[in-house]
This record gives sequence, C-alpha cells and structure tokens, in this order.
Amino acid sequence: MASPTTFSPAAGGGPYVSAMSAPAERTDAQVVRDVLAGDRDAYRLLVRRYGDVLYGHALRMVRSPDEASDLAQRALVKGYRKLSSCRDRDRVGAWLFRILSNLTKDHLRSRRRTSISLDRLEELPEQGGGPLEAAHRGEVRGRLRLALAQLTPDQREAFMLKHVEGRSYEEMAAVLDASVASLKMRVHRARDALQELLEDFR
Amino acid sequence: MNDELRRHLDGDLPMDSLGDEARGEAEAWERLLDAFRVETPAVQAPPWLESKVMAEIEALPEPGIIQRIFAWLVSPRPVRISPIAIGLATAALLAVLLIPGRGFLPGSHALEEGPGLAVPAGLPGGEGAVVYVQFTLEAPGASSVAVAGDFDSWEGSYALSDPDGDGVWSGRFPVKPGLHAYMFLVDGSTWMTDPRADRYAEDGFGNRNAILAVTVPTA
Repeated sequence: MASPTTFSPAAGGGPYVSAMSAPAERTDAQVVRDVLAGDRDAYRLLVRRYGDVLYGHALRMVRSPDEASDLAQRALVKGYRKLSSCRDRDRVGAWLFRILSNLTKDHLRSRRRTSISLDRLEELPEQGGGPLEAAHRGEVRGRLRLALAQLTPDQREAFMLKHVEGRSYEEMAAVLDASVASLKMRVHRARDALQELLEDFR
Repeated sequence: MNDELRRHLDGDLPMDSLGDEARGEAEAWERLLDAFRVETPAVQAPPWLESKVMAEIEALPEPGIIQRIFAWLVSPRPVRISPIAIGLATAALLAVLLIPGRGFLPGSHALEEGPGLAVPAGLPGGEGAVVYVQFTLEAPGASSVAVAGDFDSWEGSYALSDPDGDGVWSGRFPVKPGLHAYMFLVDGSTWMTDPRADRYAEDGFGNRNAILAVTVPTA
C-alpha cells in the first residue's frame, strides 16, 4: 500500500492530525467533505493515508495479522459510516485511530472472556537467521508475549504507544480522549507489572 | 520504581541527570524496551486492505439525493466574498426582510417553542442578526451537556447547565437565521439526537440530526 502518510507530529499540529499532503492533494477536510457529498471513492484516499498506521497499531495490540487486518478494516468501514459525526475534519486521522482503539480494546476484552489463546506472537512474520537465532527469538517472544498478556487492554495500549511507537503523553491524550495524568498512570502500572514479570530478563 | 527513574522513562528527565543506581536501572529498561520494539516492528497494511474496505463500502446502500444535498449544505467550506458582493447581498436581504409580514424561512420551531426568546437590537434580519434559541435536554446523571451544530462548526461550544440538579439541562444561545442541524453532546463523548425536535434528517451514514429552523420574527 502506498504510504505518503505520517502520523508523526506535523508543524503546529501534533500527531494523528492529518496526512502530510502534497500541495496538489486534497486535505483531509476536503476529502471528508467530498465523501459526504456523495463521492464514495474519495474515501480511498483516507484508507491509503491511514491504513498502515491503523493496521500497525492493531497488530501490536492483538499480535495476529489476520485479526489486525480485520480490525483495521472494521475501523475504516465504521469511519465511513459515521463520517458525518467527525467534528474536526482536519483531524480525521485521529478520529479513525480512536475508533480503532475502541474496537481493538473491545476485541481484547472479548478474547479474554472467551478464553481464546493469547498465544499469537508466533503468527508474526519470521525474520532471517539460523536455528540458534530462531530459538533465541522464540524464547524472547515467549517471555514478552506472556508479560504483555498480563496487562489490561488500556495498559497495553498506553505502553505500546509510549514505549514502542514513541508517542508523547500529549500526543496520546489527543487521540485517546484521556488525560495525560490517567495515561501516565496506565503506563506506570504497565511498567510496574512488566518489571515484576521480566525481572530476570532485564 | 523510584521517582527519578519513573520521570526518566516518562521522558521528563535526561539520562545524564540520573544517579549511578538509577542510570543502571534506566539502561536495563532501555534493553527491555528495545526487545519490545524489535519484536513489534513497524509494518505496512496488507495490500488488499484498501480493496476490501472499498468493496464493503460500495456494498452499502447509497445515500439519497436529499441526504447528500443536506450533507453538502451543512459541511464547512471556504467562501470568497468581495466587497461589492457583500453590498449587493445585504441590499437584497434587507429588501426581502423589510417586506411586511414576510419571514426569511418557512417554519419557526425555535421561536415559537423557546421561552424568553429575544432578538438583539438592530433591524430584524439585518446583517449579523441572531436569534437566541432555548435548548433543553433531559439527561439525569450527566455531568455535562453541550449543544453542537453547524452553527458552531460542531465544536460543542455551547454548554448547557442544570443549576437545580433536576436532570433538565438548558441554555440559550445565539443562532443565525436559517436551517441548522444539531445534536447534544453528553459528558463530552456521547452524541444524542434531540428527542423533542420538530424535524430530523438522516445523513445517510447512520446518524440522525435534529433540524432547527430559525426565523426572524416580524414586528
């Protein structure tokens, strides 16, 4: 998928604000307006701009490519259906991310309730290397997977955004509709849990 | 975890300001976080995601022409106005509004129903004229209620109040004459359609906006 998109901080805007567009390209707000006026195909631009970010975040959360693509698809279709309720059209990317975030956390809670195995890390694409490297990778993956599985969906999301995706608390607050203080608390609790679970690993 | 290390991991304290013990802990944390990053690299969406999303969207029922026109009408867009055009438009508007017995728009939802409505000083319907409209919503248990519509770019900037705590939230706000779509925003995140509106408009995407017709009262 072509990816002219970034969710990284834009000048004067912050993360998740809008796609970085070439001058000739339509802005997010223009695309939203066109879609609402009946140009369905214009929505394709938003899928291209934000598909990678949405899929990548879903994959980090659920660890399964199949489930991540399903969640990204559901978020994008729901975004289309609810597009007229997006109040800040210049920040439609953040709005789509919030939809994905809620779907993903609901999915994880449902997965817990139905006792579906959390053992999904092995479904990620393998990297190169010989059998020894593969064995070591498998051990590392197993430890990290088990530790992450102990976190609540909110803690896992906050930890991933902060420490894996490298977002600031202010960026996270802008897209998750939560205060910086509450997000810090989630990250702190996630780190405390991981510290205990992975003490010997460190 | 001590406060110094916590602040460092939060990005509030640089590594070189840590003491020896905290620095060792911070380095151990960096190794652990690197392991997480290596195991969860940035990835691209599968190439078929776009086609699957668009196919599902194409299969949805198409919004009707009226719904599309309404969506177009209420969507914000840049407008270029020249001084000559403003002068001509104002003259035309005044000519229409000053005809005795003529309203600007059919219907008078807010003016007839809202108590204590008032028109600010100035000619009725003149340039900048607004009408104060009473919005009311029963929302017991809510911690905040706001009204959002095309009149405030859907910002939810008009906050209702419930001073006596009976769960009935209300507020009076200036709205320009015309046809407006609006909804209530409860607790900052839940959108509610006004159950007492006279008119509604489906927008074709699963949402139902209340419609407010604001007219200028005749003398």
